[in-house]
Amino acid sequence: MKIYLLKRFFLLVLLLLGITLLTFTLTKALPGDPVLSVVGERAQPEVIERIRKEIGADKDTLSQYFGYVRLMLKGEFGRSYYTNREVFDDLLLKFPNTLKLALGAMIIAIPVGLFLGFVSAYKRETISDRLISSVSVIGLSLPVFWSGLLIMLFFSLKLKLFPPSGTGDIRFLILPSITLSLPAIATLTRVTRTTLIEIFDMSFVTTARAKGIAELKINFIHVFKNALIPLVTVIGLDFGSYLNGAVLTETIFGWDGIGRFTMEGIIKRDYPVIMGCIIIGTMVFVLINLIVDIVYHYLDPRVRLHS
Amino acid sequence: MLLVLTSCSSQNRLDGYIYYRLNTNPTTLDPALIVDVTGGLISAKLFNGLVRLDDDLSIQPDIAESWSISKDSLTYTFNLRSNVYFSNKREVKAYDFKYSFKRVLDPKTRSPNTWVLENILGADEFMEGRADDVKGIRIIDDYTLEIRLKKPFSPFLSLLAMTAAYVVPEEEVKRWGPDFSSHPVGTGPFVLKEWLPNRELRLERREDYFDVPANVKGIIYRVIPEDLTAVVEFELGNLDIITIPASEYSRYKGDPKWQNLISSIKGLNTYYLGLNCSKPPFDNLNLRKAMNYAIDREKILNTIYERRGRLASGPVPDIIRRWDISYPYEYNPEKARELIKREGLNGIAINFYITADQEVVDIAEVIQFYIRAVGIDVKIKQLEWSAYKEAINKGEPDMFYLSWWADYPDPENFLFPLFHSSNHGAAGNRTRYTNLTVDSLIKKGQHVLDEKMRDLYYRQAEDIITKEVPWVFLWHRTDFTIRQPWIKNYKIYPIYSMDKGTEVSF
Repeated sequence: MKIYLLKRFFLLVLLLLGITLLTFTLTKALPGDPVLSVVGERAQPEVIERIRKEIGADKDTLSQYFGYVRLMLKGEFGRSYYTNREVFDDLLLKFPNTLKLALGAMIIAIPVGLFLGFVSAYKRETISDRLISSVSVIGLSLPVFWSGLLIMLFFSLKLKLFPPSGTGDIRFLILPSITLSLPAIATLTRVTRTTLIEIFDMSFVTTARAKGIAELKINFIHVFKNALIPLVTVIGLDFGSYLNGAVLTETIFGWDGIGRFTMEGIIKRDYPVIMGCIIIGTMVFVLINLIVDIVYHYLDPRVRLHS
Repeated sequence: MLLVLTSCSSQNRLDGYIYYRLNTNPTTLDPALIVDVTGGLISAKLFNGLVRLDDDLSIQPDIAESWSISKDSLTYTFNLRSNVYFSNKREVKAYDFKYSFKRVLDPKTRSPNTWVLENILGADEFMEGRADDVKGIRIIDDYTLEIRLKKPFSPFLSLLAMTAAYVVPEEEVKRWGPDFSSHPVGTGPFVLKEWLPNRELRLERREDYFDVPANVKGIIYRVIPEDLTAVVEFELGNLDIITIPASEYSRYKGDPKWQNLISSIKGLNTYYLGLNCSKPPFDNLNLRKAMNYAIDREKILNTIYERRGRLASGPVPDIIRRWDISYPYEYNPEKARELIKREGLNGIAINFYITADQEVVDIAEVIQFYIRAVGIDVKIKQLEWSAYKEAINKGEPDMFYLSWWADYPDPENFLFPLFHSSNHGAAGNRTRYTNLTVDSLIKKGQHVLDEKMRDLYYRQAEDIITKEVPWVFLWHRTDFTIRQPWIKNYKIYPIYSMDKGTEVSF
């Protein structure tokens, strides 16, 4: 296990180097100039040149990249070109919010998705199955931008239950969490349904039934345990992507998370911000994958970590 | 649980505080670095300059209680008020202005706003590192400051009313370093108490403000990026005043509950189609004229724009133009077609650069329709803001859609940066228009302090510009805000930095 973790850590470092280099060259290749966001609408060429030199944007891409790696090795993320704030401090401020929102969405999505999937699978080919299936298709294809606004109009403006926007305690968290959970509920429902149906038809279930084991026990011990692996995969993927920020949900509900921060960095070509967000995002994704892999091992002893 | 949840959000309001919305986080509150509207409107509450603009856009005393201008129009002597204190309780002296101005010009500050003060004698030498001091700024005594210019410069006092010329305390700038951006200390009617980036700023009234203190206890600015979210917050009473988003304008306008709570202000801005004069096909004067005939601006203004503006008849906005002008182009597609045919340009294609803003896209498509109707194909190229800006600064597009907003209320602000040939590209003249007569008329206007003479030059320059049409002059936008019935003494200003926030009350 220790060796396994060490190996994964080593891979993470390589991955981070690769991803940062890729992001760096890609963002540099984009049209657009960070200095133009700093100087505003009326700037003399000399001022632009001076600021370009000050932030080091006049050097070639590769030496800029190595300069950045040096900075990172010192544990620094640099300052935003634009706001002059430490990127690291801002990430520390925003990541907990993103984590809260992602957790909120998963806390809603997991029980609801599993429940609907179960019902759908057990009542296969009935009206309730069809109903759940069509609702989950709608849930998947609804743009967050629309569903979010509807949810806000209904719960905030009509019922006055929750504040429409802002970052704060649980009251502010509920509406964006519901909005963000909708697509996850839809995926989870569908994956649960197909997985369960597949397992129902497997021979060991038939054997168990033939042995006269109680239906409830079959469902929970035999079927559910075997269905866990694909479900954990889906949950891990969704959670990982939510932890990288949910731009639209954050924008509609004025939630101060990583998504908006990244987006603004990209729009303004604020390279230190983009890089900081990418690094945090990569680490989070790798970490979630690692956890998922470890959970696999406990769910199914055939999955060996050291192999 | 439910009891907690149902407690309505408006109970979260701080008593005596007025709530505004910002659509984006201010980037910095360091006056030397601010280039965005959001930063400017907040810093106006935290800082003061030597002079400020009055409601009628005239120059009024701020920290300088009076001033005199020498006969040769070069030397300005300012008498400062005594008993003006920074919020750290230190009194403002003439030295502080000298320090603040030098700081803007100092290359280490990385200020994009050096142009505001570059007319001061010795500014260039100091910026280029050839001098340790700015020769033109002299401290006569603690309350007297003398500023000498390189050349007479008529809008100088208006420039001093800008954000970049606010006074800052040296000890706080040194103490905070780059973090002065988020820990501003000034002389203004409010102090910044808390700034949660991308969330909220809390300003608190200063009781020891040197002028009339604010009526409200404080101001909360909430960062709400989405327009519709802000409307919901407003309707729930969580915001006191908002700018009406374009999509909600007609609804509020037609609602008897709200229509008396709408305020409007004729903005100091000009929207235009820039025609790149430096390369074919728009180096051709007749083609540029044809564009001005081809587009029914009035119809666009009345429909898509819902009459939220006034037709432009030149670059200078109506409210600061002190002379009459007749715009020689009315909608006349026949004439446009004829001009194009005469030049043999029938059927050519031009590219038209725009940003991805939905309102802009809607307008651009109509413009495309009008130009196609007179025999020229238009290819719309949509870019996100950063790439767009780079492209138009470089002179890539044939045609582009843009607006210019006043930094100071002087016609010069709509002529020099936009049409003088020394300002090609990022400095403002993005159509790369070049006309030596216009250049010299604008310069002459800058050097004459007499308003009548100045207007004569500006008028002549504007005349030539409207004849040579490097732009299709579109309109000047009017902005609308809506307020809650409990808000009193609310006023809306044409330039964001004019509102000190002291008058509005409950």
